[in-house]
Amino acid sequence: MSSSTGKAGVIAAPDESTNMDKLAHAVLDDVLYNIVHDLLLKVHRDEKIARAATAAIRVEKLASDASESPEINPDVRIETDAATYEAGKVTLKGNPLKTTKEILCPRCHLPRLLYPTDGKGARKPDPTVIYCKKHPYIEKPGYDIYGQTWVAPGPGRGKKKKDMEKKLGDDSPGMTPTPDSKERPPNVLSFPSATCSKCKRCILVTRLNNHMGSCIGNSGRNASRAAAQKISNGGSNGNSQNNDNTPPSSQKGTPVPGSRAPSPRKRDADEMEDDYEESDPTNPKKKKLKPTALPKKVILKNKGQGPGPKKEKVKANSLLSGELKVSASPKLKNLEVPHKKSTSKIPSPAKKLKLGPQKPQLAAASPMPKANGREVDDVSESSGTLSSPPR
Amino acid sequence: MSARPTTPASPKNVKIKDPEAGTPVYGCEHVQRMFCQAQDVINTSIQHYKMILRSIFDNNTVVPQTSKAADGQPLTSLTSNYLCLQCPVTLTEEERTKHGKQKSHRFYVDSRSGSLYCQMCDDFVWDPTLEDLRVRKIGTGTFSSRKRKHEEMFSDPVKEDPRYISSNTTTASCRANGLRGIYNAGATCYQNVVLQSFLHNPMMRNFYLSDGHKRENCRQEGEYCLSCAMDDTFQEFYAAESTNGYTAANILSGFWISEKKAFENLVTTKEQDAHEFFQFLAEELHERNGDGKKPEIGSEHSCNCIIHQTFYGKLQSTTTCQHCGGVTNQVQSFLDLSLPLENLAQKKGKKSGAKAPALTLQECLEEEYIKSDKCEYRCHSCNSTQQARRQTSIKRLPNVLSIQLKRFEYKQGRHDKAAKIETQVQFPLQLNMLPYTNRARGQDTKDNYELARSCTYDLLSVIVHVGEIDTGHYVSYCRVGDQWFAFNDHRVELANKSDVLGAKAYLLFYIIRSLA
Repeated sequence: MSSSTGKAGVIAAPDESTNMDKLAHAVLDDVLYNIVHDLLLKVHRDEKIARAATAAIRVEKLASDASESPEINPDVRIETDAATYEAGKVTLKGNPLKTTKEILCPRCHLPRLLYPTDGKGARKPDPTVIYCKKHPYIEKPGYDIYGQTWVAPGPGRGKKKKDMEKKLGDDSPGMTPTPDSKERPPNVLSFPSATCSKCKRCILVTRLNNHMGSCIGNSGRNASRAAAQKISNGGSNGNSQNNDNTPPSSQKGTPVPGSRAPSPRKRDADEMEDDYEESDPTNPKKKKLKPTALPKKVILKNKGQGPGPKKEKVKANSLLSGELKVSASPKLKNLEVPHKKSTSKIPSPAKKLKLGPQKPQLAAASPMPKANGREVDDVSESSGTLSSPPR
Repeated sequence: MSARPTTPASPKNVKIKDPEAGTPVYGCEHVQRMFCQAQDVINTSIQHYKMILRSIFDNNTVVPQTSKAADGQPLTSLTSNYLCLQCPVTLTEEERTKHGKQKSHRFYVDSRSGSLYCQMCDDFVWDPTLEDLRVRKIGTGTFSSRKRKHEEMFSDPVKEDPRYISSNTTTASCRANGLRGIYNAGATCYQNVVLQSFLHNPMMRNFYLSDGHKRENCRQEGEYCLSCAMDDTFQEFYAAESTNGYTAANILSGFWISEKKAFENLVTTKEQDAHEFFQFLAEELHERNGDGKKPEIGSEHSCNCIIHQTFYGKLQSTTTCQHCGGVTNQVQSFLDLSLPLENLAQKKGKKSGAKAPALTLQECLEEEYIKSDKCEYRCHSCNSTQQARRQTSIKRLPNVLSIQLKRFEYKQGRHDKAAKIETQVQFPLQLNMLPYTNRARGQDTKDNYELARSCTYDLLSVIVHVGEIDTGHYVSYCRVGDQWFAFNDHRVELANKSDVLGAKAYLLFYIIRSLA
């Protein structure tokens, strides 16, 4: 053991070290080398396979263009700088890491965006290119992986009528942007509403649990009042006074989540009315549903506007229009709140995803998960990491 | 694998992977040249590659790490050696170049990863045929794919035809990747964290995305079904393009509608225990998909439903009478392993003198599943109550191992008050469960790589509770591929491994590495 360092040569023992010292330094250095080697090999594998696939996709596309039919003519021979298509087979020319510079998505065949659009390591994407929709994740404090952030949830119960009206004014026109939505950038989202499965009313998501508690479950005001009454009455029943005037003590016993500010006056109102308040206290029921359902649509629109020209271009592409439908339909289910039943009966195209190209993998693992589902997973997952920058 | 007879002279011809759209047939031009020769050249090359992979993954790692130095002395290295594909020799990186020049041998296998190195490209090459073998070897320990045979027998060849698939399906957008937050519907973060861990569990995902639970065939006609709600949720996560948070209204209402008596106290608008919700969800989904029997606590329950296949394992307790030496075994199913922290933390604290010693997950597991404890026991042969030693170990490991660290416990004493234990428990990204199984007992398992591999788990998700016992917040971390994500209700952020490992975990989910 004469060497004072390992393969990496980063951790070296001083010259006057004992042999044991030198050995320890060499071992640590080798271990460090191995860690870097393994990381590098993993990135190399992902990158090289993705580039090889890109070369293959390109040459296949040319071959299919040349054969002028949906089926590629096997007699066609096409050669690019990176690959050759011959006799129905794609073979590589040279090292794909050198010959191929960008990465095409193996599913949609569009180029992958290789850098996040915002936050750490961000770069401006080329506005003339339609990229695959799988983007590198954004790392920016205060924003999520899609660069989204949320408007601070309202003051809850204490929300003033003025605020509510302002919000409705912003949302109800739906298609045309209003001053308020201009102020709010498209990546700032507000909390959505959802439909209660029992009463079909539209409830702001943050209050959904409480609403369901009173609507479906029996933890609502009346239930707890009844329980409190039973307790306070003990065995003696028929105290009519309690039925009419709820004792203040039982009111306080209503389960109140932390977010709700205690406001005794409102609590006197019936729970039902509390929920109406969410939409608009003055309108009749049917009209109330619509405005609250719309905010989602606005969000949707805004998001579409985000990447700018991209979406329109994609729309023009006939290949992808089907894809857009998929994404739109499950959303509609949530959007068209009053017609929920009818929309849900239409088999969502998204459901068909189940039979998609992934099907053999997925199906294979499900009846017999003991098969090599893990491997399959590895393959699909590793391809997913391709475009994300190393962290 | 050493037990399997190797058949080098097998008349069976090895096949190169069929050409697939979107991938080249060979890893590089040089591999192509090798594979375009006579069939026997292909056969020997692939046989050699398999042999090398076996020697790397099935044996002591010292063997492939040892090469012969020029003076004939064995030289063991920590860094990679290269095993020649064309002749049985192990070389260091420097020797490799010399060997290539002398013998014109161009392909080498990395001794630590099994990857193929091409000297003409001067680069690692990921050949579809060979890489498939390597991934399979690492994943399952075997090269064969019994699965395929099963598939061929039972699948409809028409339906597997890619043309049939493409004409009858729409592909989900590339943006739909299953990463969405879930809005907090008012103190429902305890549900959100458990749902996220289900949504990023590959077994659950594959089950639901492959139509494992069909709404049309659902037995719960007219009635509300939580499994249908899960199905909808999976669709929303993996097929919809939305990146906004998800509103789990259908699951929440299913939760309110459910009439499970055991979880009655869960159904309130207050904050709840995520572990209880996990149990609730698992039992509910079992009832919707399984044999219809209620899972009994403390007994052996075998069922083929997705929940049992994913989460359930079996424990075996062995009680040995101290008087007559009689042994009784009892087997019971488990959904999760609950590990007490308090006693162990106190014990360790006394030993080391530290006030709040950090525990490791392995220490907690050892305490429960290796060490034995004393108990009173009614012995059949003695026909009286005797002192006995009881020892519990894992008889069958589940595919997804869920571990609860008991952070919320009733402190016995003056005021029977529940308290939160804030002890730090270190947990690994990779967990070897072999020592805690009954197979590890009385057997030398040190060199059994096959067995060790079948007991290796990878961390999948971590659920963390922040705050006090009465009020707090749940957040979770889930792994998708190699990337970790932090889920905080509707917010999804990237997470580092160190964020994950530094968390004060409450629930841990580990997934088995190989589904062999």
